[in-house]
Amino acid sequence: MAQIEIRDLGIDYRKPKSNEVFSAVDSVALSVEKGEFVTIVGSSGCGKSTLLMAVAGLVSLTRGSIEIDGKQVTGPGPDRAVVFQEASLLPWRSVRGNVKFGLEMQRWNGGDLNERAMQMIRLVGLGRFSDYHPHQLSGGMRQRVNIARALAVDPEVLLMDEPFGALDAQTREIMGAELLRIWERAKKTALFVTHDIDEAIFLADKIVVMGRNPGHIKEVIKVDLPRPRNEAILDSDAFHELRKRLRAHLAEDMSSMQLVQEVA
Amino acid sequence: MIAELFYRRQALVLGTLSMIGIVVFWQIAVDTGFINPFFISTPSQVAAEFMAQFEDGSVATNVAATLYCFVWSLGLAAVVGIVLGMLAGWFADVEAALEPFIWFKYSAPTVAFYPLFVAWLGYGTPTIIAIAFLFALTPIYANTLSGIKNTDRDLARAARSFGARPLDIFLRVALPGSVPVMMAGLRLGVGRALTGVVVAELFGANAGLGYAITYYGQLMQTTKMMVSIVIVVVLGVLLTQILSFLESKTDSWRVDSNR
Repeated sequence: MAQIEIRDLGIDYRKPKSNEVFSAVDSVALSVEKGEFVTIVGSSGCGKSTLLMAVAGLVSLTRGSIEIDGKQVTGPGPDRAVVFQEASLLPWRSVRGNVKFGLEMQRWNGGDLNERAMQMIRLVGLGRFSDYHPHQLSGGMRQRVNIARALAVDPEVLLMDEPFGALDAQTREIMGAELLRIWERAKKTALFVTHDIDEAIFLADKIVVMGRNPGHIKEVIKVDLPRPRNEAILDSDAFHELRKRLRAHLAEDMSSMQLVQEVA
Repeated sequence: MIAELFYRRQALVLGTLSMIGIVVFWQIAVDTGFINPFFISTPSQVAAEFMAQFEDGSVATNVAATLYCFVWSLGLAAVVGIVLGMLAGWFADVEAALEPFIWFKYSAPTVAFYPLFVAWLGYGTPTIIAIAFLFALTPIYANTLSGIKNTDRDLARAARSFGARPLDIFLRVALPGSVPVMMAGLRLGVGRALTGVVVAELFGANAGLGYAITYYGQLMQTTKMMVSIVIVVVLGVLLTQILSFLESKTDSWRVDSNR
């Protein structure tokens, strides 16, 4: 059985002023196997983050269901951990304090918190910076802390919401390779939301392409590039082929968006 | 960094110079007969009178009386302001219930309640503390409220994703995040508590700096009065600076603090 099973998922929002109901995600079905790295890609407004937040249990479902290891998702749980976009670190806590935060919230009792946190900090390569505060770190380092905080609670599923979205192109590439290195050691099931095509291909076993109005899955693409991967595969023919396919999908979305703008 | 230091030093030098300038101008203006010393005294006379009052113990008596009321009023305002501010920041209903009182406090002068307090508590220390308490309460309450209420939503969501309960979010996210804003409220409260004490002492007291100011004022003894005025000003600056220092200690993690 798949580890994550999403069936006929629909999420509606009520717009605060007009009271109009607006559907962020509709008729989404997806299964993710244990240990699989799945990226979710799509242009802005396609509901990809909403889908991820629903799996995290931070958004309530209007229709359908999400199951993790056969258990219905009704809220956040210790089987999942989220890596958010930047700035979700507590600015008054040190790197170690931040990595301990998730463990404290889960009332972790698997031994010494400090030791566990340091282990994770070393895993993401920040051993020397454990006493630094977030404002003393670069964007890339902050996201390493974010990843360490999520891994510390030893989740079954790692959920990542455009974690490298605020980083410059070069740092983003380095962080992608770094994430794969960590993931290969931690062996977690991963759901990773991005709008960056190269990132989506580079990381994935399986790419979920989403479209807009309302957010739905357009296609699920298997990625058969060999692992472990490094930057060299960015230039392979298979990679180019996948990139072309994804570009076509996103271009389609962009042109329909322009049409809407012209009509409006 | 160096330019900033240079600028800060320059600002310090200029500020000191302008202070000295005023004092010198004051002395000269009176010495040359430009201003009648009856209205304003002179720095040298005030200094001499300060030494006299210092030696006969009246400086100590007045400062002690004022500080006694100050400490009580600020302490009470801090406890009440922070507790109410936390409740109102966390529970929108509490905020709504308290809102009219805050409007009153902002729009009506607090001194207007003075006669009422006199009727309840009599002339003297309890009334002075009550008035100064009301003076100091508003900024402490308002800052605590806004600190808790404006808790970073991203941080709260991250905490929730790890299974944090509402109390966890309050204690581990909202509260520590509000400390700098609360300290700023306390700093404002210090200035207002001192103002409240001195103003209340002007109306009725047996000791204290405000009492000394009215007492000598009514006797037209300008020099003796100026001594207490200068002490009040210095005290106010000193206390506020102490709080500014403590404030800077608590918000070192803030990226937007431009220090």
